Amino acid sequence: MKEEKLFAENSPISSNRRWGMVIDLDRCTGCQACVVACHAENNVPVVGEAEAAYGRWMHWIHIERYWEGEYPNIKARFMPVLCQQCDEAPCEPVCPVFATYHTDEGLNAQIYNRCIGTRYCGSACPYKVRTFNWFDPEFPEPLKEQLNPNVTVRTRGIMEKCTFCIQRIRQVEEGAKMADRVLEDGEIQPACAQSCPPGAIVFGNLEDEDSLASKLASSRRSFRLLDELGTGPAVIYLKGGETNV
Amino acid sequence: MSIDLSRREFLKLATLSVASTAGACVPINSRTKDILEPQVLPPEDILPGDTTYYASTCRQCPAGCGIIVGTINGRAKKIEGNPAYPINRGKLCARGQAGLQDLYHPDRLRNAVKQSGGRGSRKFEALYWEDAIALLIQKLAGIDPVRVAFLGGKMPDHLYFLSSRWLEAMGAPPLVRFNLQSTLDGRITASKAAQSLFGSRQLPIYDIANAEVIFSFGANFLDTWQSPVAYSQQFGEFRQGQAGGRGFFVQFEPRLSSTAASADEWVPLRPGTDGLVALALGRIIVEKGLGHVGAFSQEEADLFRDVHVGELAEASQVQVEKLEQLALILASADRSLVIPGGYPAGQKNGFASYKAIQGLNLILRRIGQRGGVYLSQPSPIDTLPGAPAMDSFMEIMALIERMNSGEVEVLLIHGANPVYELPSAAGFVEAVNRVPFVVSFSSIVDETAVQSDLILPDHSYLETWGYQVASPGGDRPSVSSQQPVVQPLYDTRSTGNLILVLAEEQGGEVAEVLPWANELLFLEDASGGLFLSSLSPYNVKTAGDFWSAWRQYGGWWTRRELYQEPDVTGFFDQPLKAIEPSFEGESEEYPYHLYPYSGVALGDGSCAHLPWLQELPDPMTTACWQTWVEINPQTAHSIGVKDNEIVKVISPYGEITAVVVVYPGIRPDVIAVPFGQGHTDSGHYAANRGANPMQLLAAVSDEDSGELAWGATRVRVEPTGETHELARLESLEGEGRETIR
Repeated sequence: MKEEKLFAENSPISSNRRWGMVIDLDRCTGCQACVVACHAENNVPVVGEAEAAYGRWMHWIHIERYWEGEYPNIKARFMPVLCQQCDEAPCEPVCPVFATYHTDEGLNAQIYNRCIGTRYCGSACPYKVRTFNWFDPEFPEPLKEQLNPNVTVRTRGIMEKCTFCIQRIRQVEEGAKMADRVLEDGEIQPACAQSCPPGAIVFGNLEDEDSLASKLASSRRSFRLLDELGTGPAVIYLKGGETNV
Repeated sequence: MSIDLSRREFLKLATLSVASTAGACVPINSRTKDILEPQVLPPEDILPGDTTYYASTCRQCPAGCGIIVGTINGRAKKIEGNPAYPINRGKLCARGQAGLQDLYHPDRLRNAVKQSGGRGSRKFEALYWEDAIALLIQKLAGIDPVRVAFLGGKMPDHLYFLSSRWLEAMGAPPLVRFNLQSTLDGRITASKAAQSLFGSRQLPIYDIANAEVIFSFGANFLDTWQSPVAYSQQFGEFRQGQAGGRGFFVQFEPRLSSTAASADEWVPLRPGTDGLVALALGRIIVEKGLGHVGAFSQEEADLFRDVHVGELAEASQVQVEKLEQLALILASADRSLVIPGGYPAGQKNGFASYKAIQGLNLILRRIGQRGGVYLSQPSPIDTLPGAPAMDSFMEIMALIERMNSGEVEVLLIHGANPVYELPSAAGFVEAVNRVPFVVSFSSIVDETAVQSDLILPDHSYLETWGYQVASPGGDRPSVSSQQPVVQPLYDTRSTGNLILVLAEEQGGEVAEVLPWANELLFLEDASGGLFLSSLSPYNVKTAGDFWSAWRQYGGWWTRRELYQEPDVTGFFDQPLKAIEPSFEGESEEYPYHLYPYSGVALGDGSCAHLPWLQELPDPMTTACWQTWVEINPQTAHSIGVKDNEIVKVISPYGEITAVVVVYPGIRPDVIAVPFGQGHTDSGHYAANRGANPMQLLAAVSDEDSGELAWGATRVRVEPTGETHELARLESLEGEGRETIR
């Protein structure tokens, strides 16, 4: 039996890769390891208490917490939210300078030195995952030694967001090409997936039916965030609180 | 000129031309310090632009996970979990990831200093190391060794070993160790209980991955408890990795922690009644013969003979019907597991509660079973001993007493911050003022370093050597190695080396028992005995190869899993007891129980200097950068306070101010305050921000374990009329809908 296709027929993807991520909410414990892993990998700055209180925090991935019920019959659920790398991304058509565009691997890419900071993309994004550099980031000496040289440090006036750790994808892809071999499933690990203690985050090629991500995505627990908007996210969540078997 | 030159070729040519210029310059410039040296032949472990990985050990909390640190051009860039290490298996928590900022913290001390303006002046004068060491030797030589005290904390095991041996040889009293996170984990109680029940001081480990039903009494094993990365990883398997389906998890605690949020059922238990509930569950199982026929013996059943379920139900405010339902769930599963956590241990009846909770594992026959309880393995080799559990609060109080009575003339402090981590009511600051000479080894000026005369900064843990026997351990005997991943940034010195230098200077017997020139030689010597083991995970032919593999793999562990099964005879000395909890502060004047907790970001406060963690939203409140107080909506209404209002929290011992978070997941008679903030020093990201709940706590302990009863203080809450907008992810303007701002 053929699996239901994971993204729309009119999807603009032309390559044989569609990078996707499966997040198992039954495993996620809200521990925030992914958040710091992402800060470290992607040179994401901290903004300080006053700016954070203003809603100007810059986490590329954040854990949303939802209450259900009232004391004493109350539950809390966690949901890690990051750029959903939509097939039909609302952030893309609104950019007047084409700083945000779609790669042939299905990623929504952001060209930092083309961005002029209109923040239209941030307004258009229904997931609230784009963050704006209101100020130049500060890394007092010698904190800037921690910066990852494979990732640009963004300046004031630039919009930024999760890239699925594109630098890691490229590094592994190029390594495989140089060694003249095929990419293996699980070889590429974004920083969040790598650190995730309960193994809630799985990254992989959704075009490859045999990848772990594809297999998990076909679970009956799977859903996509704000699916009704027709954005076609590449992040697939697995519902918590019930068994998969 | 147009030459078709690729980027690579251009770079090659450019490098060569720089090389020839620099080569020519060397003789001319040889008198100055700065010589331009091209990296045509870089050090063998530096490939320009490429990442070199070093395996080491995380020191951000007492768990001791294995890490690999990616370095580029000699700078540490990223910390990951070590996939080969059997405790955390490639995974790492938020605090572990943030270790880079401990290394590159702008406020680190860059050399040895003395506080020239007197204690608390924060006026420091740089010292040459020779002078600093001479000063310390002079102070030590002038006094009777019994008047030396060494207070340790989160120190690597090799430093524990070297400093213990040093103190013993000098004839000084043994090392005293305190660490707040270990106290909040209930490690002292767990170790003492293991000694009493299982005849071994090794901490129990819980096979969560293979359990079917878990009852956790205040064990926040998904937040910060004991070994959170290992247990979180197992939890993922418990949830979705088992063939038999999804495990069922019940958490008992007064506040809905993020561990409780991941549970299937949360029982908001009355503080201090964990043991009572455990006894009631045990009694019901025994009385009704629940579970598998013949699962428990008469001897085991007799442990619960003095228990009256009705009375316990009343005391714990859990209905008898509810207890019966829970007992049935627990006893019906094939592989059920009961975990005694830190909060029950932090009560005045902690030891009795702990035994009662562990007693459930006994009658369910879960001890030494798959999906049950095992004991941590000791170090695989005697030359690399693991440090025992920290000293109890009673022993810290004994040290404070010695200081107060003038019996301590030189106090050395490493890896501990007692001014911040002990209840103010314990009087450490007053006591330290009576010690003539205080030395801190802190790499950043923390609250305790401010109270010292001399600071001899240790390296950051990413710049130095060591080893650790993780406790609780994993599924096999293991010892992890710690090695420098970068050259030390500053003129700091490893405290292990410093002790060896001191010993050599002191000469005589002290120098004899510490014959190594430096800690590296000690480690090579001590780990070498593992070379010939047949259980080794790697094949090496020579001792030199072993030493390489030891560093390359990040330690040594057996190839296959090897569990240590506890002996349970210690249970049967006397029936399990129910001890009613008692609290400090009259309930009329102080109506609420204070529940201080260690969150995933700042933990016990020792990581508060790291900006990534300061801005890390708490999973439950989504708040950061501050101290808040969590109050049940009904209680907040009765006090007349709302979100973002500042309140005073007052106990019989002190008061703090904090920002209100109206929190639906907490008992109405309990308020919760996170640890972590309230530093006066510890670098500019931490200083003068929020409040430290330690200022509220009574300096009382459980008499049986000696552990600080950190959950046994009552408080009242008073509005101040002021407000402070808390930095949080969540917007409060959603009119009932939860929104992100």
